[in-house]
Amino acid sequence: MPTVTFTDAQGGQRTVEAAAGDSVMETAVRNGVPGIVAECGGSLSCATCHVFVAEDDLETLPPMEEMEDEMLYGTSEDRRDNSRLSCQLKLAEGADLHVTTPETQV
Amino acid sequence: MTTAQDQTPTTAATGGCPVAHHGYEPFQQNDPFPAYRSLRAEEPVMYDERIGYWVVTRYEDVKAVFGDWETFSSENAQAPVRERGPEAKRIMEEGGFTAYSGLSARVPPEHTRIRGIVQKAFTPRRYKALEPFIRDNVARLLERMLEREDRTGDLVRDLAYDVPTITILTLFGEDIDQIDTFKRWSDSRGAMTWGDLSDEEQIPHAHNLVEYWQKCLGMVEKAHREGGDHLVADLVKAQEAGAEITDHEIASVCYSLLFAGHETTTTLISNTLRMLLSHPGQWRKLQEEPKKIPGAVEEVLRTSPSIVAWRRKALREAEVGGVTIPEGGQLLLVMGSANRDEAVFENGEEFDIDRPNSREHLAFGYGIHYCLGNMLAKLQTRITVEETLRIAPHLRLSDPDAITFGENLSFRAPVAVPVIWES
Repeated sequence: MPTVTFTDAQGGQRTVEAAAGDSVMETAVRNGVPGIVAECGGSLSCATCHVFVAEDDLETLPPMEEMEDEMLYGTSEDRRDNSRLSCQLKLAEGADLHVTTPETQV
Repeated sequence: MTTAQDQTPTTAATGGCPVAHHGYEPFQQNDPFPAYRSLRAEEPVMYDERIGYWVVTRYEDVKAVFGDWETFSSENAQAPVRERGPEAKRIMEEGGFTAYSGLSARVPPEHTRIRGIVQKAFTPRRYKALEPFIRDNVARLLERMLEREDRTGDLVRDLAYDVPTITILTLFGEDIDQIDTFKRWSDSRGAMTWGDLSDEEQIPHAHNLVEYWQKCLGMVEKAHREGGDHLVADLVKAQEAGAEITDHEIASVCYSLLFAGHETTTTLISNTLRMLLSHPGQWRKLQEEPKKIPGAVEEVLRTSPSIVAWRRKALREAEVGGVTIPEGGQLLLVMGSANRDEAVFENGEEFDIDRPNSREHLAFGYGIHYCLGNMLAKLQTRITVEETLRIAPHLRLSDPDAITFGENLSFRAPVAVPVIWES
């Protein structure tokens, strides 16, 4: 079963179990992780599920498509090289992903 | 105006309700909130025979219907609430009016295809570049208002009317001296689709819609001919590069966004300043802590969304909040009510810019049709608040209780927001 570890802007950590095929955003919302807002429900329209991915995990992720890249210009906290929108990150079986949520999503 | 009276839920035991439809009046927007509250408590899914819609008022139900696009189609989202009269029909047919919807009333797979193409042309990267331009426009309009010697203004007319209209016209490569024209067309679109008009009243609006649609067709034609650096040209270029979108579909997108792209933002800007100025303590707090402005805008979207209700149609028999909706049944999802549901928002009727979960509001819908322009709307509103705090922090509402809202099923827009200031 895939797991995701969310670290908030203050350093608080929480690891949750996910279902393979679900996105990191869906996993966060289902478990009430407060740092992910996901206003639009995954339609790539709000940029409120922004996460910073742990450097070591970056290459395990599906590559970024053009639309996600465009939307990352609209995040509340400025994007960095390891920024992704968590609605686009589908979890593979056995994945063990580490992400940090920004101080604010709006 | 934002506080609803306490209403004791009536017992259903007698089967009667003391106030017809729990006080809900579909087209009245001055203060619909007490009725929403009663509906949530007494009949959260109510069939309203006056309009032929199932009125859904609880947060959970509204969100669930938005989320289930396979059962609840958006195909009726742009249908006229009142059937078009024979004369309006004739005018529109003869005028070559063939528009229906750009995106909001389209359904997958067509919706998915067109939205994917439009989304790429309408991204934060493109409109964030406009931020300094938007800021200059806001400052210029505020300064012009403050020059008035009688020290009275109207934030709708003097500010909110122009700001988003200039922005959207610029994004579409159109001259900004057409603000009044596009506002006239938009008013007609709002009235013809969501208004309660007689056959006679529809006639001037029918003429306007014909003009508006011809303009949209013309814009696509011009973009093919001349190219350019704007959204229509981008869509035409995408088409020429192989993207699957027809000229009629591009014109329909123009027809959508040149309405949706300013109408509701004019309302949001007006409502934001109206709500903040009627809570002077919170207005002062923003002055001290500008970081709170985005949260304040979310709280305005929650308590005073520009669109209070939106439509869906059940493609099969389905249950909503324990009530069976027949196949073909039409639903009116009342976001204005869902956003105050105490099951999600503690003291939901209260305006509080520090509320931790304001952003869970459904003002922009939810799911595959989530408002494409939500970030542009919020960007412009944030800039307007920042500039107003800088240039005109001393504005006061002249008479908040006298503010009225136009009659409409879905759009709740203040007619005027009169302000005064000391010299």
